[in-house]
Amino acid sequence: MANENNENKMALDDANRVKVLSPGMMVFKRFIRNKLAIVGIIIIVFMFLFSFVGGLLNPYSQSQVFYTTEQILKDYAGATSIDQYQIQQVDGVKLPSDIFSKTLIAASTGKYVFETRDGSLLGLGNVGENVYVIYSLEEVNMLLKKNAAYDAAVAAGENYFTDDDGLTYLFQDEGAAFPTVYAASEMGVAAMKSFTPYDSSEKFSYEFYRGALVASANGEKSFQADGTTYTVDEDVILKDGAEYALISDVNFNAANSGVFISPAYKDAALDAIAAGQTTFMFPDEDGTEIEYRIENKNGQYTFRRYQETRVIDTYAHPSKDHWVGTDANGMDLLARLMYGGRISLLIGFVVIFIEVFIGMIIGGVAGFFGGWVDNLLMRIVDVVYCIPTMPLYLILGSIMDYYQASATTRIYMLCVIMAVIGWVGIARIVRGQILSLREQEFMVAAEATGISTYRRIFKHLIPNVVPQLIVFASMGLGDVILAEATLSFLGLGIKYPAASWGSIINAVNDSYVMSNYLFVWLPAGLFILLTVLAFNFIGDGLRDAFDPKMKR
Amino acid sequence: MSTEVNTNAAGNSASGENILEIRNLKKYFPIKGGFFGGVTGQVKAVDDVSFSIKKGTTMGLVGESGCGKSTTGRTILRLLEKTEGDIIFNGQDVSTLNKKQLRELRTKMQIIFQDPYSSLSPRLPIGEIIGEAVKEHKLVPDSEYDDYITNIMKECGLQEYHKDRYPHEFSGGQRQRICIARALALKPEFVVCDEPVSALDVSIQAQIINLLKQLQEDRGLTYLFISHDLSVVEHISDTIGVMYLGNLVETGNTEDIFANPLHPYTKALFSAIPMPDPDIKKDRILLQGDIPSPANPPKGCKFHTRCSQCMGKCKEVAPTPKDMGNGHVVCCHLYE
Repeated sequence: MANENNENKMALDDANRVKVLSPGMMVFKRFIRNKLAIVGIIIIVFMFLFSFVGGLLNPYSQSQVFYTTEQILKDYAGATSIDQYQIQQVDGVKLPSDIFSKTLIAASTGKYVFETRDGSLLGLGNVGENVYVIYSLEEVNMLLKKNAAYDAAVAAGENYFTDDDGLTYLFQDEGAAFPTVYAASEMGVAAMKSFTPYDSSEKFSYEFYRGALVASANGEKSFQADGTTYTVDEDVILKDGAEYALISDVNFNAANSGVFISPAYKDAALDAIAAGQTTFMFPDEDGTEIEYRIENKNGQYTFRRYQETRVIDTYAHPSKDHWVGTDANGMDLLARLMYGGRISLLIGFVVIFIEVFIGMIIGGVAGFFGGWVDNLLMRIVDVVYCIPTMPLYLILGSIMDYYQASATTRIYMLCVIMAVIGWVGIARIVRGQILSLREQEFMVAAEATGISTYRRIFKHLIPNVVPQLIVFASMGLGDVILAEATLSFLGLGIKYPAASWGSIINAVNDSYVMSNYLFVWLPAGLFILLTVLAFNFIGDGLRDAFDPKMKR
Repeated sequence: MSTEVNTNAAGNSASGENILEIRNLKKYFPIKGGFFGGVTGQVKAVDDVSFSIKKGTTMGLVGESGCGKSTTGRTILRLLEKTEGDIIFNGQDVSTLNKKQLRELRTKMQIIFQDPYSSLSPRLPIGEIIGEAVKEHKLVPDSEYDDYITNIMKECGLQEYHKDRYPHEFSGGQRQRICIARALALKPEFVVCDEPVSALDVSIQAQIINLLKQLQEDRGLTYLFISHDLSVVEHISDTIGVMYLGNLVETGNTEDIFANPLHPYTKALFSAIPMPDPDIKKDRILLQGDIPSPANPPKGCKFHTRCSQCMGKCKEVAPTPKDMGNGHVVCCHLYE
């Protein structure tokens, strides 16, 4: 019992007092005492959480395009004063195609009888100011002396009359001894007016047109058509006291097809033009007053208004919806930073993993076996070392462009290319390390105790190479991420729509973006800087921690 | 104590058979050079060395740095391939063994290194360092493994709780104990001690030497004790071999050699042993010049460039070993 007590008691120099630490634990203890390394670890952990967890939490995907509605001054309607005769034809009549020009010439010269291209003889009856009825004519021999209807027509300044039988005649050279007389049959009506129904589904009959035109041209207050009486109130024609149609000498065209420009709008617009205003208000369908701007260009009026338009939300400043704003393609930058971080970090780790794998095997074989194997492998390493990387990247980038490689293929290819070029450094380190370890006495002791080659490599050599490898790899990670960013920046690496930090920075190609939209490229640049710095801190920390000369 | 062992050993050497016999052992290292990397010369690290060790005795191998002591030790263990000669261990020529037989031999012959710091893998715990080879050779059943390792460690002055510790947590003396435990765990018959105490301070040296002697008594071990420290060699050895530039210039019983060194080099060497008594007047023989390059050794007797008793013959003809009685062999023209 007493003996046991003695054993349990600890003396000052009892080695039991010291906590047993494996070399790994000691490295860890030394490592966590390095402040910079801890800062590095925190940054890297943050980057990982940001990229891999943040990407899951973020509601947006990396290639989701965002739209916004914007008030944009857009053309709503155009208006031109009518300078051509608008012709309404009697039902079932087809007038020749040059009727417009012929009418215009006839009306302006006063030679109301003319022949069209197809040889038919037509004439205009001036029923009112700038309102003409188009007749098809047939010359008749008729003496007009003492014809009351003729005299009345001449007195009224008209060039047609209707006889007692209801037949209409057109005459020319009135006042002459023998004016030429034509038997006329009505074909249509021409006027520089346009009609707009208040009810957009309404179709006007010819009789209505004719009646309305004649009435408005002659200042009549009412007319009859199709057995209905219409009242005329300036430009507006009322049917049963309700607004039925609008007559105007201005032609309106909607800027967008499918938009019906109401007569009320036209009325308001015409009033504004007449009053010389540059803007006017008019309620829209919901009754909200909207301001319209009138622009006059050589008698052509354009009515513009601010309209809600769906546009891609490019270069949106940071806001509640997009914490870091959006980029040139209207994609959420925060989401792209997250997904880009995934790519950048993933490429870093994958490349380093492949590099370490190749480098350890080649360097290990060269170092352990030595001789001609070492010589051969190291010459291969020298050759790979001599390959100029940038031109190679450029060539491979353009090859991938040529074959239109997909975003994923590009990522894989990028990893492979960078690893295939980068393993040589690790191979050299491993070889050097193994060469020096091979001569250590504990390796000779292992051989002397008859331990198998396999065990000597994996139990004695590799564990002693691993520290240097870890240090080199953690430093190399930063380099790989930088290289990837460089390639993506140059457009050789990750391509749109896939994101990487390098490709996000690519936006600074546009100097306007560089100086005006800092939020587009600054975060990605900062992330690259922080990550590379953090990996270097960790690498330094690990190197110091592994250094056996540093006492705990 | 010392005399006791010596008498014991003397008895052994009279009756026991040779555990190891070295005949005309040569180890040349090629010097590569020139444009095509051809062999341009040879470093004659061990040049025609013959000796034998009787079972249960200790042979001390002394000489200055670079004289080929360690190379001899390592060549015997086949850690280096010999150039010529025979290494006969227990009646078996070591150099003809194939891989499988060599593996078996590894358990019979062991080595303890000079530097206890670099001879332990820093990333393995002590238990594993000691037990690794035991497992590899399946020397003990798995059920007894732990006890076996514990016993070995205790024998070598280590505690059981040291098993899980790593080399960096031990002092030099403790590390050397670990190295000894590692070697002894394989139950060897013959151990090459390659300057096992020269990296330790004097008090620890004594501990280790006594441990080695204790273990020799307990297990009937045979040592080849390589050292440049003559007082240590005198203390532990039954026989002594003095090496100079790859040659064995003098061999014999420890007492004979210390009482009556014959070879001029041995004399010079022994005159350098510090005496604890200041009243003793010493005739220190100072050797002139440096040890010549083993790549280009002098003609005739290799020592003639520094020998105070050099004769004309020495410069031309290499001397042959001459038995001066009681196994005291010297290699010098003075005794012909």
